[in-house]
Amino acid sequence: MGLLSEQDVQYLNDLFSKEMRDDVRILVFKSDDTSRCEYCDITVSVLKEVTDIDERIKLEVYDADDDEAVAKRYDIKGRVPAILFLTADGQDKGVRYFGIPSGHEFSTVIQNIISFSNGANPSLSPASLEKIKQVDIPTEILVFVTPTCPYCPRAVLLAHEMAKANDNITAAMVEANEFPEWSMEHGVSAVPHIVVNEETAFIGAYPEDMFVDHVVQHVLG
Amino acid sequence: MFFVGGESNVRDYYDVVVIGGGPGGMSAALYAGRAGLSCIVIEGNSTGGQMNEADVIENYPGIEEIKGPVLGEKMRRHAEKFGAQFHTATVVDVDFSGQMKRTILDDGKIISSEVVIISTGASHRKLNVPGEMEFSGKGVSYCATCDGHFFKGKKVALVGGGDTAMTEALYLANLVREVLVIHRRDKLRATKVLQERAFSKPNIKFVWDSIVREIRGNEKVEKVVVENKRTGEKTELEVSGLFIAIGIVPNSEIFRGKLHLDSQGYVVTDENMETNVRGVYAVGDVRSKGLRQIVTAAAEGAVAASHAAETYFG
Repeated sequence: MGLLSEQDVQYLNDLFSKEMRDDVRILVFKSDDTSRCEYCDITVSVLKEVTDIDERIKLEVYDADDDEAVAKRYDIKGRVPAILFLTADGQDKGVRYFGIPSGHEFSTVIQNIISFSNGANPSLSPASLEKIKQVDIPTEILVFVTPTCPYCPRAVLLAHEMAKANDNITAAMVEANEFPEWSMEHGVSAVPHIVVNEETAFIGAYPEDMFVDHVVQHVLG
Repeated sequence: MFFVGGESNVRDYYDVVVIGGGPGGMSAALYAGRAGLSCIVIEGNSTGGQMNEADVIENYPGIEEIKGPVLGEKMRRHAEKFGAQFHTATVVDVDFSGQMKRTILDDGKIISSEVVIISTGASHRKLNVPGEMEFSGKGVSYCATCDGHFFKGKKVALVGGGDTAMTEALYLANLVREVLVIHRRDKLRATKVLQERAFSKPNIKFVWDSIVREIRGNEKVEKVVVENKRTGEKTELEVSGLFIAIGIVPNSEIFRGKLHLDSQGYVVTDENMETNVRGVYAVGDVRSKGLRQIVTAAAEGAVAASHAAETYFG
């Protein structure tokens, strides 16, 4: 048996048939050095299982070191495993994952597949979209999570939606256990922990309007 | 473990809108679906509500032992099998003034429905002591399963004496060096079986008859000041984290002035789970009642959806 149960596969098959439109490209960056990346193999495996469900989902596996040009183009900085999504016509909306999106986080991968298959349009209220327009400088949102945190996927998705809404914004899930030094650097000891442009913006699960307000205010000062 | 989730497009109308994706809401959705009603569950976070924070659940009849998130996922699938839809969003307002109810979401969507079943559950109660706000997310946590990892091999304190507190203490004991359980009485309120398990763990220690007065530190939590209620003596406990599990407060703020709430803010219903507004029901932890368990929430969801199906769609 694979990582996904037969029931999960059937469920996803039905969901993708109903909700997907175009092809989606998933790029995953790995390292064969297990001391550097404990979860690279399992990340690639679970994504393969997902891509086997619907032929419109295309998986591209790269080595973070050997495939230097691609890794550089998407700004992976050697952090593995890294996952990103592209629309059928190759649009990169700045949606990233660093570390394995397991547990509760995996549902956000499914959401992103459906979203990118439908053009990666942000699913946010008109009021939020209006506020996000104000972000006029390159902005990086990091959402530190743990796989056992039920409040985290919502924060990850909101950050990803913000990235889809504005080309100045990139947004990444960071699995805190796999990146202890990166987490320590930002003093992460509770999740979700949101870092905007290298500074902690807030900690905790916020509804959409508050999440957007806090990020935008942090950028604009 | 991989929870697959997934969502479909949200429509403007459903027969039943369920606010909250805990066991009460998902049971209501299952019964509504089987009654042939269209139903959507609006869930604030991951499916399962507070069950998601339970490392182990072992009091749901027929299921001897299961992880909270797994039971949540199973309940969701079960409801989806009978047609219920799920959507992640926060409800920011409701309009119960007409026969057609309106539920307003933070992502801008507005959903109309004949019936609304409220299962918004409850949030963690705060201690309200100096340092709690300041160190929230810097050593103060309300979710052991979320944040326990950050305290591996360290010494932490946990306040509370109920079932949730003991479940969290037992979870933490497997991760951290030592758990100091601070409790205001000289005995626990938790179920006997959980008490015995906690007492048998060598790295769970108890600080009885004590209340937390202050949380101190520089960047992060370093000390918790406790006061012994009998002697009045204050002691500083050196810990890296403080987990708070001292009960819950109902998530009912958006219904204030719209529904009859009890003095503590829980939603009052009749025996069919219907509130003082026709077509609006409340189930689970947010409802004014005695025992708050997964099994009672699930039962109430069944009662509410069945009554709604008969009364408004019969």
